[in-house]
Amino acid sequence: MAGAWTGQCTPPILAMTPSTESPPADAAQLCYHCGEQVPAGVTLAIDIGGQPRPMCCPGCRAVAGLISANGLDNFYQQRTAFNERPQQQDSTTLEQYLIYDDPELAAGFTVVDDTGMRSASLLLGGITCAACTWLIEQSMSRLPGVDRALVNLQQSRLDIHFDPVKLPLSEIFARVEQLGYRPRPFQTSTARLQMAQEYRTELRRLAVAGLGMMQVGMFAIALHAGDIQGIDVRYQGLLRWVSLLVASFIVVYSARPFFSTAWRHLKVGALVMDLPVALAIGLAWLASAWATISGTGQVYFDSVVMFTFFLLLGRFLEHRVRQRHALTWFDAESTLPGVVATRRDGQWVTAPRTQLHGGETVLVKAGETVPVDAQIVDGSSAVQEDTFNGEHLPREVRAGDTIYAGTVNVEGALQAKVLGSYRESRLAALQRSVEVAQTEKPRLAKLADRIASWFVAGILLVTMLTAVVWNQLAPEQAFWVTLSVLVISCPCALALATPAALTSAASALRASGVIVRGENALDSLSRTTHLLFDKTGTLTEGSLTIADVRPLGDMSAEDLLAMGGALQHYSSHPVARAFAGITGTGRFEDVDYRVGAGLEARQDGGTYRMGSEQFCRQLAADLPKAPDDPLYWIALCREGSPLAWIGLNDRTRIEAADVIASAQRAGLQVELLSGDSSAQGPLLARSLGISTVNHGLTPQQKMAHVRQLQAEGAVVAMVGDGLNDAPVLSLADASFAVTGATDLARTQADFVIVGGDLHAVTDTWRKARQCRRIIGQNFAWALGYNICAIPLAAMGYIPPWAAAIGMSLSSLLVVANSLRLNRKSSPSQGHIGRG
Amino acid sequence: MDSLYLLIPIALVFCAIAIKLLLWAINNGQYDDLDKEAWRILAEDDPVPPAPAENGGAQQQESKKP
Repeated sequence: MAGAWTGQCTPPILAMTPSTESPPADAAQLCYHCGEQVPAGVTLAIDIGGQPRPMCCPGCRAVAGLISANGLDNFYQQRTAFNERPQQQDSTTLEQYLIYDDPELAAGFTVVDDTGMRSASLLLGGITCAACTWLIEQSMSRLPGVDRALVNLQQSRLDIHFDPVKLPLSEIFARVEQLGYRPRPFQTSTARLQMAQEYRTELRRLAVAGLGMMQVGMFAIALHAGDIQGIDVRYQGLLRWVSLLVASFIVVYSARPFFSTAWRHLKVGALVMDLPVALAIGLAWLASAWATISGTGQVYFDSVVMFTFFLLLGRFLEHRVRQRHALTWFDAESTLPGVVATRRDGQWVTAPRTQLHGGETVLVKAGETVPVDAQIVDGSSAVQEDTFNGEHLPREVRAGDTIYAGTVNVEGALQAKVLGSYRESRLAALQRSVEVAQTEKPRLAKLADRIASWFVAGILLVTMLTAVVWNQLAPEQAFWVTLSVLVISCPCALALATPAALTSAASALRASGVIVRGENALDSLSRTTHLLFDKTGTLTEGSLTIADVRPLGDMSAEDLLAMGGALQHYSSHPVARAFAGITGTGRFEDVDYRVGAGLEARQDGGTYRMGSEQFCRQLAADLPKAPDDPLYWIALCREGSPLAWIGLNDRTRIEAADVIASAQRAGLQVELLSGDSSAQGPLLARSLGISTVNHGLTPQQKMAHVRQLQAEGAVVAMVGDGLNDAPVLSLADASFAVTGATDLARTQADFVIVGGDLHAVTDTWRKARQCRRIIGQNFAWALGYNICAIPLAAMGYIPPWAAAIGMSLSSLLVVANSLRLNRKSSPSQGHIGRG
Repeated sequence: MDSLYLLIPIALVFCAIAIKLLLWAINNGQYDDLDKEAWRILAEDDPVPPAPAENGGAQQQESKKP
C-alpha cells in the first residue's frame, strides 16, 4: 500500500549511505524564518536587513519575502522566538477563504455597525511572540479599507475593523495566511468568555491588594516606629482603625477565593493548601481587629495584606502562563473544507459541507481534503491518511473503497457517495476519543495539597495544645500566645513553594523553546518511568527528502535533480515535496499524471517519465533494477534511455539517537509507538537502540497500550506530533508535541517544543527533576522554619515583630531558591539554544 | 499632629480614586494583553521604508503620503 508509484518500497532507514548519515557540513545553517535546519542542497535565500538569509523551504521564503517587501524587516530583530514553518501556499489555500464572503457564514464572528463598517475577530494559529502582533497589525492596517487592526497576544486574536466594500473578508484571511499564520474565525465560546472573565477578576483582586498593601504598609511603618519611639495612644488608635478599614476591604475583596476554595474542599472533607492560607489570613485579621477594638495586644494588618498580595501575584502569574496557551482551542472539524462540489439534478453544484446528506455524490479533486466519510463510486487515486496513522505515504484507493474525512486526496479526482454527516465520521470519533482520554488521565495528587493536609492537622493540634497548656500556666496570656503560634505558622513560604518553582521552571523552559501548558505536567514528568515516541514526524522529520541520486547515463546528479524538480513541480504527490527546494530547469509540456505510476511529460520532442520501476521500464526497457539500498526509489528516464534512480527517505532527526541514548542512560524505559505498519518502525528502533517497539497501531490501540502501562504503575510521557497522536497525548501523564504538530495534538500536549529539537525532551525532563528537587528544598525549608519557630512561639519567646520578619525572610528565601531554576547552568542547554 | 485626622482620610480618598481608576481600566480591557504592551514600547511605530527596488515598496510609500 505504501506509495502509489514507487519503484520499490524497501525499509529505508538503516541503509543511509555514510555521506547522508553524518550531518552535512553546513548543518548549522538554520532557516532565518522558522529556525529549522536548511536541508542539504537547498539554496534558497532572501535579503533581509541587507544580508542574504538562508531559507529552508519555499513557504518560509514566501513569507519572509512578503515581510521584507513591506519594509517590516524590523520584525526579525524584535522577535524573541522563531516563527512557525508555514505551509506552502498555492491558489487553493487562498480560495478556501472565499466562503467567508458569504454574509451568513461571516455573521458568526463579525459585527456590522451603523456606518457599514464591519468588525471581525479571527483566531490566529502560529503566533509565537509579541513581535508577531506588531507584524500582523502593521501589515493589516496598511490594507486599503482597514480602519483598525489589533492583535491580542494573550488570546491569539485579531480584531479588525474594516470596510467590507473596499476589502472582502476573504482577502483578510488570505493576507494573514500569506504572513505565515493560520487564521480561522474566532468563535466566542462560554469557556473562552469565562476564562477572560476570570483573568480580569484575578487582576482586579491583585490590583486592589497591591494598592491596599501600600496604604497599610505606610501605616504599619508609623506604628512600628511608634512602638520603638513611643506613640500617643490617640494616634496609635487612629492608625490601627484606618489599617483595619483598609485591611478588611482587602480581606473581603481580594482574599475571598482562598476562603471559598478552602470551604468548598472542607465540605467534601479535603484539606488543601488554601485552608492554612485562609486560616492564617482570617485569624491574623481577626486577632488584629480584636486588638484594635479592645485597644490591647498587637496588630498584624501589614502581614495580612502582604501575604494576600504575594499569594495572589504568584497565582496570577501561573494562571497567565497557562491561559496563554490554553486558548487556541482547536476543533478537528475546522480543518475540513467549508464548501464541497456535489451532484444535484445532474449538475455539479457547490454546496456547504454541512448541508450534505448521506447518499449524495461529491467530487474530491486532487489536492483537496476529503470533506466527509464517503465510498468511492468512480475514479482511482491515493489518499494521504497521516491524520489517522501518521504515515506520509498515501494509500491507493479505487472504486468501492472508503475514504475518510480529514484525509487528503493526492492524485486524481474522485467521485464518492457520502456515508454520513461529520458527527458520524471517523475524524469526529477521533476527536471524541481525545475528550474521553482527557477525563481518563490519571490525576497525580498535587504535592502541595498532600503536604497541606497533614500540615493543617499538625498546626491545629499544636495550637490546641498551646492553648490548653497556657490556660493552665497563665490564663491571661493564653489567647495572645496561641495567636502568635498561629501567625508564625502562617504558611506563606509553604504556599509559595510550589507555584514559585513551577512558574520559574516554566519561564526557563519557555526561554529555551519549550512552551509549558499543563499545570501538573512538570510534576508528572519528573516521575516519568516510560518515555514513548511516535515515529513519523517525531523521530523522523516527517517528510521525504532526497537521500541519494544514482545517475545511469552521463548526466550529472545536479542536472538530474533539476530535471526531476521541474517535472515534480506539476505534481501534488507527497513525493513532489522532496523536490520542492530544487529550482527546476527546462520546461516540460503535456504533463500527464498517471495514478499509481508517475509523471509523463515531453521536452524538446522527447518523452520523459518519472515514477515507478514498471512505469519507467515501459519507456526505457534497459532500466536496471532499483539499487539494493532500502530507500524509497523512483526512476527517471527518457524514451529509450534510463537516466537515474533517485532515492528518497524520511530522514531520522539527527539528534534522535543521542536523545534516546541519554534518556536510557538516565534510567527511562524508551519505547516506540508507531501507527506505521511497515517494517520501517522496527528497523528505525533498532538503529536507535530502542528495544520495545509497537507498530501498526491505531490511535485506540496506542491509548490501550498507555492505559495498560499506567495500570502497571508506570508514569508515561509521550512524544508525538500528528492528529492521530492527540488522544494518546492527552492520556499520557506528561506529553510533548514537536513543531509542525497539528493544532489538535498541540492543544493536548503539556509541552510544545517550538524549535523542533528533540533534545528538548530530555532537557525538559531534567528541568522537571530539578524543579521537583527545588520544590522539595522549599518545603523542607518552610517546614523546618515552622518546626523551629512554632515551639519558640508556643513558649512565648517570639515578639510579633520578629515573627513578621521571620515570615517575610522565609518567603523570600523560597522565592530566591525557586529562581535558581531560571539559571542556565545545565550542560545540555546548548542543544536547546539551537532551537 | 492633629492634621493626621484630616490627612489620613484624604490619603484614603486618593487611594479609593486610584483603585476606582484601575478597576475601570481593567474592565475596559486595557490590561487584557500584558505581554504585548510590555513589548510594544520597544517597537517602532513606523516600519523602516524598504529599499525602493523592492516590490511592495511603492505601496508602502503611497500609504505614508498624507
